[in-house]
Amino acid sequence: MMAFNVVFTKELRDGLRDRRAVLSALIFPLMAPFLVYFLISTMIDLRSQDKQIEVAVQGIDNAPHLIAWLVEKGLTFSPIEGDALALVGNQQEKLVLIIPADYSSRLDAARTGYVEIVSDSSRTDARAAVSRVRSLIRGYNSEVAALRLIVRGVSPQVMSVVEVVDTEVASKQEIATALLSFIPIYIVLAAFISGMGIAVDSTAGERERRTFESLLINPVSRLQIVLGKWIAATVFSVVGMSMTLVLCMLVMSYVPLEELGLRFQVSPLQVVGMLLATLPLAFLATSMQMLVGIFAKSFKDAQSYIGMLVLLPMLPGLYTTFNPIRTETWMYAVPMLGQHLLLTDVMGGENVPLIGYFLSPISILLLCFVFSWLTAKLFERESIIFT
Amino acid sequence: MIEALQLVKQFKGVDAVKAISFTAQAGQVTGLLGPNGAGKSTTLRMLYGLLTPNAGRVLIDGIDMVTDTRHARTKLGVMTDNHGLYSRLTAREHLHYFGRLHAMTNDEVESRADELIRLLGMANIADRRAHGFSQGEKTKVCMAQCLIHDPANVILDEPTNGLDVMTTRIVRDVVRELQASDITVLFSSHLMHEVARLCDKIVIVSMGQVVAQGTTEEIKAIAAEDDLEDAFVKLVEQVIPQ
Repeated sequence: MMAFNVVFTKELRDGLRDRRAVLSALIFPLMAPFLVYFLISTMIDLRSQDKQIEVAVQGIDNAPHLIAWLVEKGLTFSPIEGDALALVGNQQEKLVLIIPADYSSRLDAARTGYVEIVSDSSRTDARAAVSRVRSLIRGYNSEVAALRLIVRGVSPQVMSVVEVVDTEVASKQEIATALLSFIPIYIVLAAFISGMGIAVDSTAGERERRTFESLLINPVSRLQIVLGKWIAATVFSVVGMSMTLVLCMLVMSYVPLEELGLRFQVSPLQVVGMLLATLPLAFLATSMQMLVGIFAKSFKDAQSYIGMLVLLPMLPGLYTTFNPIRTETWMYAVPMLGQHLLLTDVMGGENVPLIGYFLSPISILLLCFVFSWLTAKLFERESIIFT
Repeated sequence: MIEALQLVKQFKGVDAVKAISFTAQAGQVTGLLGPNGAGKSTTLRMLYGLLTPNAGRVLIDGIDMVTDTRHARTKLGVMTDNHGLYSRLTAREHLHYFGRLHAMTNDEVESRADELIRLLGMANIADRRAHGFSQGEKTKVCMAQCLIHDPANVILDEPTNGLDVMTTRIVRDVVRELQASDITVLFSSHLMHEVARLCDKIVIVSMGQVVAQGTTEEIKAIAAEDDLEDAFVKLVEQVIPQ
């Protein structure tokens, strides 16, 4: 294993001096946590906003009873003047509630009163507020209607034929997990991005720099050269991935999740479990990148191929986000799907069967050795050495 | 000793080298001379084992390059024609890397590197990173790299290509020194005067075959010309189909 050591040490030193490789290995792990914080805080802001909705209103004096009822439910009102359509149109107001002058008189005559909501449904930030105001008014409607029926000696139940009762099964922790499902995707991305610079530099770069021939003339096995390069790249990948994971978890403890009524707690043991779950991905990422890299004649060439490679490991993550599946033991053995399931399960605080930790790296390592062996074969190919 | 025995190499059905045979003896400088595209580099690449011949054998000190590649390589130092370096490693680190790949110990590499840095006059660049090295400086590093494990056989592919006079002289001096230490030196060139000045034996190749080999006097006699350049042109052209 002497040649392995020599190649590994050299590639590590060379890689650490490569500003391009170091930057690309560090930038993502440092940025991802901020992105996570930003995304989740924005989501929290959006949700907590609908508790405190300020509604612009015209004709506030026309329906004192309705307004008082709505204020009691948590809305605040600001009377405005002018053209409601224009105000919403030019985005000065999210929505305007218009109460016509004849509202009270119609109500007094036991007829239907009309109120108008002016809104722009293409604005996502207004949608929540509009539906909240609408549902509150609907609630007011059924309450008053019930009173009217009671006055006439009719049970209000006549009016409600079927009613839906919601029962939420997902635990708070699971909702949090769904909310945080993009963290695993980031971690997978980190594994692919952090080792890429050096994986490509030690394959395509070696060819581009024309050092490849001199290297191969030495009396060492090609497989040892490939393994040395692969493990050096994997060190970068593992560092980047672990940084992303630990920093994301750290940042999560500062996100005010309790505002959503959620609790997110990870024990150090869970973090270790997550690291173990994703570690094989770092090895896989770099071995794939080296295989692709050796086909490319230049660094740039390789980068464009490898860009597409990143999508591959994200597929299970994206798929399960939209099509939740129930974890079965055999799934841990499926490359990439296994790691994703392990990661999300550990993060969600679920008990992962110990066998999962053993199954997940086996298939990955097998793949890695196939890729490395293929790379070593290509190192011998005349058309690759002399281009 | 480097032996090429009936070497044949085809690329996509086209004969690049057809039955080349010659021997480079220890303590002699052998020059592989030929016009561009004659098959010099292809021949050398088969000799150092990065191309596998379609037929024929390569023996380095009697060890078969095709069947016992790694063992044969330990006896061989090679300077390829592309002079590529790792831009982020210093000259000394290059020597270290290649010495270690030849299974030398750290101490062995250190003392040998110092020796070569002195021999090639590269003390000024020894601890500088290779990024921005001139052609001459690159050649020196590659030369030192190929000699780091003190090989008994040395192959130099166009070593003086694109060099200034000073560096060319250093390369020449090193070649003479190798010759004096009883090492087999085989180098290729397309420059007549370069070969004539340095070589004990000249092998002229054209169209993938050896058209003549021997000392300068023998070559002139074979071609029946008094001038070496005339002899070279005559020998090369006689196999080119009209």
